[in-house]
Amino acid sequence: MSRILVLVPFALDEQGLANRKSQLAEAGVRSDIEYDFRPVKAGPSSFQSPHDWLLLDVAIFEAGLDAERDGYDGVVIDTASDSGVDALRSVLDIPVLGPGKASLLFALTLGKSFGVLAQWEPGLARMRKSLADWGLAAHCAGVEHFDTEPDFAGLIGDKRDEVFPKMEAAALRLVEGGADVVCLGSTTMHEAHGHLSERLSVPVVNPGPLSYKLMEMLLAAGLTHSRSAYPRPLVAKEELVHAMLDGAASDS
Amino acid sequence: MTQSTRRILVVVPFPMEPDQLAKRAEQQEEVLLPETVELHYRSTQAAPSNYVSAHDYVLADIGLMEAGMRAEEEGFDAVCIDTVSDSGVAALRSMLTIPVIAPGKTMFMTALMLGRRFGVLSMWERWFGLYERTLRELAMEDRCAGIRSIDIQPDSKNLFEGKEETVLPRLHDAALQLIEEDGADVVCLGSTTMHQAHAYLRDRLPVPVLNPGPLSYLTADTMLALGLTHSRTAYPEPLVPKPEMISAMLSAAAEVERLA
Repeated sequence: MSRILVLVPFALDEQGLANRKSQLAEAGVRSDIEYDFRPVKAGPSSFQSPHDWLLLDVAIFEAGLDAERDGYDGVVIDTASDSGVDALRSVLDIPVLGPGKASLLFALTLGKSFGVLAQWEPGLARMRKSLADWGLAAHCAGVEHFDTEPDFAGLIGDKRDEVFPKMEAAALRLVEGGADVVCLGSTTMHEAHGHLSERLSVPVVNPGPLSYKLMEMLLAAGLTHSRSAYPRPLVAKEELVHAMLDGAASDS
Repeated sequence: MTQSTRRILVVVPFPMEPDQLAKRAEQQEEVLLPETVELHYRSTQAAPSNYVSAHDYVLADIGLMEAGMRAEEEGFDAVCIDTVSDSGVAALRSMLTIPVIAPGKTMFMTALMLGRRFGVLSMWERWFGLYERTLRELAMEDRCAGIRSIDIQPDSKNLFEGKEETVLPRLHDAALQLIEEDGADVVCLGSTTMHQAHAYLRDRLPVPVLNPGPLSYLTADTMLALGLTHSRTAYPEPLVPKPEMISAMLSAAAEVERLA
């Protein structure tokens, strides 16, 4: 039995975690692999400014730092921003995967270009930064948002009737703009995947469930990230990282 | 067969005797495939002698298209091509709605999930054009740190048999050059026929080594689990598919080969 740790980027309660865990059913995960969902101890309340991005990097880094010692075989991050992935890869030998870059690369095996569905206008800055950081801006046919404030705990929930049509319209704009594949820009959009994939003429990539299957693939093939791309620190300061997040949690 | 069994057709790009096909099928032992995945290997009816010129590429494309184009009506859930050249994939995707996996593209994109740049380790310099073609199509030339070969003409039917002692250390040296001189974070094996070298290299190199054949099987399983397939806008259907004509072409080709 392999064990995968899924790091959830907000300090959610049980119901919030359950909304995230429901992505497992959409992925058809292997029955011989166990998934544990762990929220960060503290973090930003939004995700639209470099202030938020940095806090999330640190929070996810801390939440996954001990994964190997805790007996996990792999770590998946439940945010398509891939926050914390690089730092975790630098200290862990087990595979660490973020759904963002991986889902865009996977999309390029299905078509020549992808389009990204973003949540709302304030989320575009991070999306553009990610595309540039990952060197994938030239493969992106467009980014369209559906003008809806994200709810990181409740997700779409009972707002489907209002939100799904707006998502569909934005996704159609991506297809009309030349996207061969539509990528959901956030794991919080997973509830809309079935609705959109039934209505669009192109594949719709659901980053969270895809990341679980890709992690299963890495484990089955005995693969992990390259140490030369993610070198170790000279001195790992794990206690310091834990202390910072304990401090943050006691403040909130 | 349980309801969730996934039947994957693996098309091998050369006409083969059963024992040669079995050597290709050994690839599936190199990864932990889910029990629900069933692989069925089938060779093409005719093929070029190797993949070193545009003459060969076009013959490979049509041979693979013919061997896989009825996979959907035969009840397969996905098609894998047993060549890193991705020959025939675009044509098959235009005819099939089930996933058709391109091992070359898939390997390069997976490499970029694990490192910044990858290197391609090949048997033969005359195969370089195949990798360059795929990299151009992906617009990912700048992510390839280098392509190196040991410049030995490979045996696509008997693979490494009897040559392990000379071939494996040379592949190791070339892989080290990819890593140390070219800056590759990940080493990609340049042919599914190199699968017998994978374990040797993986155990000796400081970076991940990708084995394209088995990786394509796992990718097919991933796509089926998620209900994904290739994009129709990237691979449009023909107005008039001509499967009978294609079959007749390959039957005639096989007859010419038999008489030769």
